[in-house]
Amino acid sequence: MTIDRLSGAVLVLLGLFVVWERRVLPLGNHSQPGPGYFPLLLAILLIILGTLLVLRGGLSSSFRSLSWSEAPHAIAILGCSVFATLFMERIGYRISFLIIMGFLFGVMERLRLWQALTLTLGFSFGTFYLFDTLLRVPLPRGGWGF
Amino acid sequence: MEATVQNLILGFSTAFAPGNIFYALIGCLIGTMVGVLPGVGPLAGISMLLPTTFGLDATSAIILLAGIYYGAMYGGSTTSILMRIPGEAASVITCIDGYAMSQKGRAGPALAIAAIGSYIAGTLSVVGLMFLAPPLAKFALGFGPPEYFSLLLCGLIVLSYMTGGSIVKNFTMIVLGLLFGMVGIDQMSGYFRFSYGLVALGDGIGIVPVAVGLFGISEILATAGQSKKREVIKPHLRDLLPSRQELKDSLKPIGRGTLLGFLIGIIPGSAHIISTFVSYAMERKLSKHPERFGKGAIEGVAGPESANNAASTGALVPMLALGVPTGPIPAVLLAALMVHGINPGPLFIKEQPVVFWGLIASMYVGNMVLLLLNLPMVGLFVNFLRVPYRILYPTILMFCIVGVYAVNSSVVDVGIMSVMGVIGYLLRKCDFEIAPIVLGVVLAPIIEFSFRQALAMSNGAYLIFIQRPISAVFLGVALVMIFLGIKPLIWKKKDWRERLSEAEKST
Repeated sequence: MTIDRLSGAVLVLLGLFVVWERRVLPLGNHSQPGPGYFPLLLAILLIILGTLLVLRGGLSSSFRSLSWSEAPHAIAILGCSVFATLFMERIGYRISFLIIMGFLFGVMERLRLWQALTLTLGFSFGTFYLFDTLLRVPLPRGGWGF
Repeated sequence: MEATVQNLILGFSTAFAPGNIFYALIGCLIGTMVGVLPGVGPLAGISMLLPTTFGLDATSAIILLAGIYYGAMYGGSTTSILMRIPGEAASVITCIDGYAMSQKGRAGPALAIAAIGSYIAGTLSVVGLMFLAPPLAKFALGFGPPEYFSLLLCGLIVLSYMTGGSIVKNFTMIVLGLLFGMVGIDQMSGYFRFSYGLVALGDGIGIVPVAVGLFGISEILATAGQSKKREVIKPHLRDLLPSRQELKDSLKPIGRGTLLGFLIGIIPGSAHIISTFVSYAMERKLSKHPERFGKGAIEGVAGPESANNAASTGALVPMLALGVPTGPIPAVLLAALMVHGINPGPLFIKEQPVVFWGLIASMYVGNMVLLLLNLPMVGLFVNFLRVPYRILYPTILMFCIVGVYAVNSSVVDVGIMSVMGVIGYLLRKCDFEIAPIVLGVVLAPIIEFSFRQALAMSNGAYLIFIQRPISAVFLGVALVMIFLGIKPLIWKKKDWRERLSEAEKST
């Protein structure tokens, strides 16, 4: 399977998904288009373009030729980002980033203990002070007010 | 003319307020750092730092953010010349002759010419912006929904043609961006669309989480784990002076680069990148000794560096005059203005003269600041490259999360940013351009609103789009672009876009 064919197929599926999801939105008519009119037009366009990619994508590189050497780091970074989404408001900005930065500096990058500690504490508390205290951009404090 | 001078005086009185000078200086400093550091482009930089402007008034905020934008254009050249590492995409072409000059021991003059060229281009293109934006805004006051729809459609098609790479893929990315822009409450009927019960999605998908996810997070997902050590060359101040011959050789390329960059900047697309390639090709063609190019020709630095700075100012013309961004960076600047309660559009210049003319005047000041700042402090900026990437990427991640969260105090936005990061990472892997998505998201509500209003005006007749002359002209241009885009697919010949992406990959 080539990259273009695979991505084209995914886009066709996405277009079909939008067409399916749109069914709850009124289409209206040509003189009074409803909220589902424009999304349907876009979904049809996406299906056509995706099909074009599938049809013309025979000559692009194979999907297997892609290198995924950065994947372990990418998964860790993504995990941290998801962690922030789920927990930052519950446990507060400072504790969240103590965990995230500690994990990235200490576990993923294996910095020396004192380096990891200094950077983790410095960034977590420093950025909180910069944004929340100095720039008055409110950051979450969590249940313990921390 | 008299009105322009009076407005400019008003602008300078705003720009010279101590607070605004300070923000222009800070913006230029941060922008230069953003430009120097690979992996933090101007788009991610502006998006991440947007929340820091919330406490400021609109004028100071836009002065700071615009400073980051053109500061990044300056900063990008430093690493290209000294290390053959383009700090951001518009500096790719500078690597060729800039680095060759460094190897010959002429890094100083290359840096100086890049800074002087950027200064001249930046300043002259602000003059262009000053004279072009107000009449364009006046002209656009006559636009109705059909004209706006055709203008935006034309802009998106021109963008997909000018972005380079596969035109089918670029179209697909625009449609994807427009679909993302459909999420949220429909402006005309009040229906919730594709929000799956999440109240936070009622306002739609914000530009900041999309931009930071696609450009910031996807970049660190793709590059984390690399452990390359960089050799950092530090030029001395005394070595910076170019010779008389080098100055003479650079003068015409700077002039041509400025004009070319400004004009290309107005056109939608990755103007600041394209302008550098066009300028380089033009200089090589016009040169009496084209064989010197690639081996350290100063014209190969002067032209492209002037062009990318002029293009970044040119891109502000349609944004400020029409409220229509031509690329992802003006789109984020537009969003920043909207956060501060200002709606850019044809009435912007008339209703917000202090912001518009303050920005214009601050750009004159900012360009001067950058010239004075960049050359003496080049050694300091280069030091940022000594920071190992394993320390840099967690820091970038942290600023991405804080920047996105702070816009609406919403963790849903952080979640959207993460999803966009993954989408951007996968799309990059599959050789898709991600910039059109950002523009699609920004323009989706306006384009849909104009489309539906136009159809309501004409009682459902699509002919309205070709019966109105201005609208017909825009659609005509769009058709020509579609034809030019599909021409190489039919005749199976390489066009300039394919050659451009090949050149980008080989550099």
